Amino acid sequence: MSAAATTGTYSPAAAAGEKRRERKEELRRHLAEDADWPRADGRSFHDCRPAFMQTGPTTAASGSAYAEFGKTKVIVSVFGPRESKKAMMYSDIGRLNCNVSYTTFATPIRGQFAFSFQGTDNKEYSAMLHKTLEGAVMLHTFPKTTVDVFALVLESGGSDLPIIISCASLALADAGIMMYDLVTSVSVSCFGKNIIIDPTSDEEAWQDGSLLVAYMPARKEITQLTLTGEWSDGKITNAVELCMDACSKLCDILRELLKDASSLAE
Amino acid sequence: MAAGTEATAAGGLTGEIQVEAYRRLFPLGFLERHIRESVRPDARRPDGARPTTVALGAVSSAHGSALVRLGDTAMLASIKLEVMSPSSEAPDEGSVAVEFHMPPICSPLVRPGRPAEVASVICKTLENILMSSGMLNLKELCLISGKDSWLAYLDVYCLNADGSLFDAALISAVAAFIHLEIPLVSVGDDGRVFTVGGNEGKTKYELVNIVKRNLTFTNIPFSLTCALHKDSVLVDPTAEEESIIETSVTVVLDSSDQIVSIQKPGGAVTSMATIKECISLAKDRRRKLREILMDSVEAMEAYQTD
Repeated sequence: MSAAATTGTYSPAAAAGEKRRERKEELRRHLAEDADWPRADGRSFHDCRPAFMQTGPTTAASGSAYAEFGKTKVIVSVFGPRESKKAMMYSDIGRLNCNVSYTTFATPIRGQFAFSFQGTDNKEYSAMLHKTLEGAVMLHTFPKTTVDVFALVLESGGSDLPIIISCASLALADAGIMMYDLVTSVSVSCFGKNIIIDPTSDEEAWQDGSLLVAYMPARKEITQLTLTGEWSDGKITNAVELCMDACSKLCDILRELLKDASSLAE
Repeated sequence: MAAGTEATAAGGLTGEIQVEAYRRLFPLGFLERHIRESVRPDARRPDGARPTTVALGAVSSAHGSALVRLGDTAMLASIKLEVMSPSSEAPDEGSVAVEFHMPPICSPLVRPGRPAEVASVICKTLENILMSSGMLNLKELCLISGKDSWLAYLDVYCLNADGSLFDAALISAVAAFIHLEIPLVSVGDDGRVFTVGGNEGKTKYELVNIVKRNLTFTNIPFSLTCALHKDSVLVDPTAEEESIIETSVTVVLDSSDQIVSIQKPGGAVTSMATIKECISLAKDRRRKLREILMDSVEAMEAYQTD
């Protein structure tokens, strides 16, 4: 029944597009030219969205964390260290296995994702999450075994990857996996002469360029930096500093959260 | 194996670490030792279900959604409506597409790229129950007879798997349908249906559906899973209990206590008396679940009027 019905269906919301285009042009102009303009959700350019983070939503996992930044909602579960897959070669150091997937209702139109990936798995984000965490996790502390980091994006509201990264490092800490430092991540969007932090999906869709920084504040080390789009030299330095500052503040919040969680457990 | 664990079960259980080790090494002995005292590892009575909560409207981008917690088991159900052309056999009916997902975050047994076997079983059962219980009147999902009707995509995600997954999935699916609010729509010049929002739109366009915004439910199915172990019946088993016990029975009842389905997927043989006991336990549970669901609807309405 459902197979025949699926072909030729459409989401009715998609039909009302005219107004959206007008709004987009107006928003873009303000973001690119004004010195400071209240964004669609009332924030100023250098404000992050209200956030909520918590450890331990998934009791079946070794460690887990939930993060909610505005509309973006993410759950990360960490399993292991556990036996590596049979097909894996022998390894003196541990392995980190990352997977990021989206729910079918994560995006406004069902099953329509912003990135080209197979099914609901996001291969690009999976690889980037792996690269970011690889440098922070002490892989030699669990030789021959694998730690699995699985993320599920419940709702996508922009800045998905930085939130997944921060949430994953919180989940790793909750699982008791040894790390050099917590990794936190923040992204910024470039609009004309302005830089705005923690962009929403609308802002991400209309941006000129974007920058993502994943940072270990205690060691003052950047584990990942991704820059795309149009940027001028001077702005890049400013943007990186802005991201690093935001990462340090986010990291302090995560630390407090972990301390509270562990004192509750005792 | 049972004989071996019986012998060790009598051994001394001293200290926290030993109990935890015993639980892992001899799960069957550990459970049977509890059952003999008429108590379960999580301190419930054999006929006690875990605390259940329902939160409606958990997904902002969906037309209807619900987050259900059954002890540690968590289910998130969401309904999105899309427009389709109804089939020629049933021109004035919409349809429902059910999907049940077990993402790798929910359990250590699920790995990415390899869907859990149990997920497809639950998906099919869920679809059958929703369709055969008479809960949904598909005619209510019709927009323009013979031309446009709604296709409701029901997606249920298991966020944490700790036993009795089907029960939790059914409650969340039912709750999401109760929360479902059909958007106001109109038909554009190109013959495509689009949503109309705000007061300005209401006066500007000719609306197709003015009255029908929520579905009506005459029959609401609820289920109860009982784990059967030798002579004892354990209501609402956890994942730990499910992995040890011999077999389970799932009873689905509708609003008038009529049986919609009974499932006993293989395992050890059982007597008719035990099945009858399961049915009577399911009747009590149905009443409680109905109360919980109605409370959550009231809570949501109170929240909306604030």
